[in-house]
Amino acid sequence: MALLDRRSRRSYANTAFITFCTIAAGIAISALAAILISLLVQGVGGIDLDVFTKETPGAGGHGGLGNAIIGSIELCFVAMVGAVFVGLFAGTWLAEYGGNSHYANTIRFLNDVLLSAPSILIGLFVYEIAVAPMHGFSGLAGAAALALIAAPVITRTTEDVLKLQAKQLRESGVALGAPFWITVRSILWRAATGGILTGALLAFARISGETAPLLFTSFGNQFNEFSMLKPIASLPQSIFQFALSADDNWKRLAWVGSLLISFAVLTINIIVRVLSTGQKR
Amino acid sequence: MSDQTTETYESFSEEIPADLVKLQTKNLDFFYNKSKALHNVNIQFQNQSVTALIGPSGCGKSTLLRALNRIYALYPGQRAEGEILLDGENVLDRAQDLSLLRARVGMVFQQPTPFPMSIYDNVAFGVRLYENLSKPDMDVRVEQSLRRSALWDEVKDKIHSSGLGLSGGQQQRLCVARTIAVRPEVILLDEPASALDPISTAKLEETIVELKRDYTIVIVTHNLQQAARISDHAAFMYLGRLIEFASTARLFDNPRAQRTADYITGRFG
Repeated sequence: MALLDRRSRRSYANTAFITFCTIAAGIAISALAAILISLLVQGVGGIDLDVFTKETPGAGGHGGLGNAIIGSIELCFVAMVGAVFVGLFAGTWLAEYGGNSHYANTIRFLNDVLLSAPSILIGLFVYEIAVAPMHGFSGLAGAAALALIAAPVITRTTEDVLKLQAKQLRESGVALGAPFWITVRSILWRAATGGILTGALLAFARISGETAPLLFTSFGNQFNEFSMLKPIASLPQSIFQFALSADDNWKRLAWVGSLLISFAVLTINIIVRVLSTGQKR
Repeated sequence: MSDQTTETYESFSEEIPADLVKLQTKNLDFFYNKSKALHNVNIQFQNQSVTALIGPSGCGKSTLLRALNRIYALYPGQRAEGEILLDGENVLDRAQDLSLLRARVGMVFQQPTPFPMSIYDNVAFGVRLYENLSKPDMDVRVEQSLRRSALWDEVKDKIHSSGLGLSGGQQQRLCVARTIAVRPEVILLDEPASALDPISTAKLEETIVELKRDYTIVIVTHNLQQAARISDHAAFMYLGRLIEFASTARLFDNPRAQRTADYITGRFG
């Protein structure tokens, strides 16, 4: 009897646990779905050719997001080039050369701190060292702030995926007479490509929507500006500016901008995944 | 590993004529940090023949093998003392170029480790490090290497597809092909068949026997039948010491050390 009791209690506990997990997953997914649906509902209707070709309008005027789109692409591109370069080498050093030395552990710790640092703090830091002394906001300062946010993510994921590679893979490269750095470059990086790309992608997704650090670095610009040395517009900053307004046209553009960012992240996600699985086969 | 043992270890070694010796160790000690894994090992490897290292787990046979191409140098805390002479030159010398040493002394591991690239590039990888071959010459080298490792017929139609798509046995023969493509003088094999099925093992053994015409081969194996089948000389190791070294026939039919006899008759290990 007692045995049966315990059994049925276990079975109830099991059911309760599974139900709880299912509900929690449901909440997470419906929140995501709600965001996507409202994005689509509010955003799709607002998309027209002007969005891509016209500059951001003044209050009450008509316009698009052309300058913000171009600005965001420039900012993210420059930031990612810098962050991938630094992150890839830093992560490789941590995984392959740093080992458990004090120096490596310090770097690892600082990287983790940077990884979770509030992005507005990073913006402030770049403002202090790059914007204030140069007496001017610039695209380059914005890209630097974004790179500072992306680099720790890439460093961390690169270190993690390299450490996942089999010890024998390193040994067999070296056993063929390859110097260690060639083994790392030609074999380990290649074996870890999928993971490193995923890390870069996460970093890109993270910075593509960052607003706070751009407010006092790249600042914003109502017009097309291709020079990275001048203040330039960006999608998140335009969304921030427009969403808070009472102007319907501005609100519409804020939704469209949000939709564009989400769509860009999704597209790049898919492309990278297709590329990285294609390479393995 | 019992370091402080007061036990004595009887030891018997056959001498190989000096002009036939390709590689030998003299008074070789090996350390993993402070623990001593090899004790004063003196062994000779004959040119163009197969030498098998046998012994129970933890006896130091893999350690000895990994000392011979100094692959252990990847790990701080591991070090060898004594001499390892390749054609009379001490490779433990500080001035030794490790990459060059490993190009001369190739190694195949227990687990097949194809590189994440095409079959062709797997084989060409090591060659490209040291030789600047034209495309036709490289094609020939790749084909030769794959033929010698008995893999060519199975992969000739998919030479540019990934090496990761091969079966375990094929992957291991790809690793052999990759190693011989560099044209080393010595090939070290660390239990190369332990992850393979019997048919793949038989193919690999044929390959090894075929290869000894050109190479000095040292193989670590847990499989005594395998050692008996393919090796010319055999070394029995125990607790980091070389107990007996002799021609394979002698060692298996008429061992001189009691421990060797016990081990090969299955009384321990």
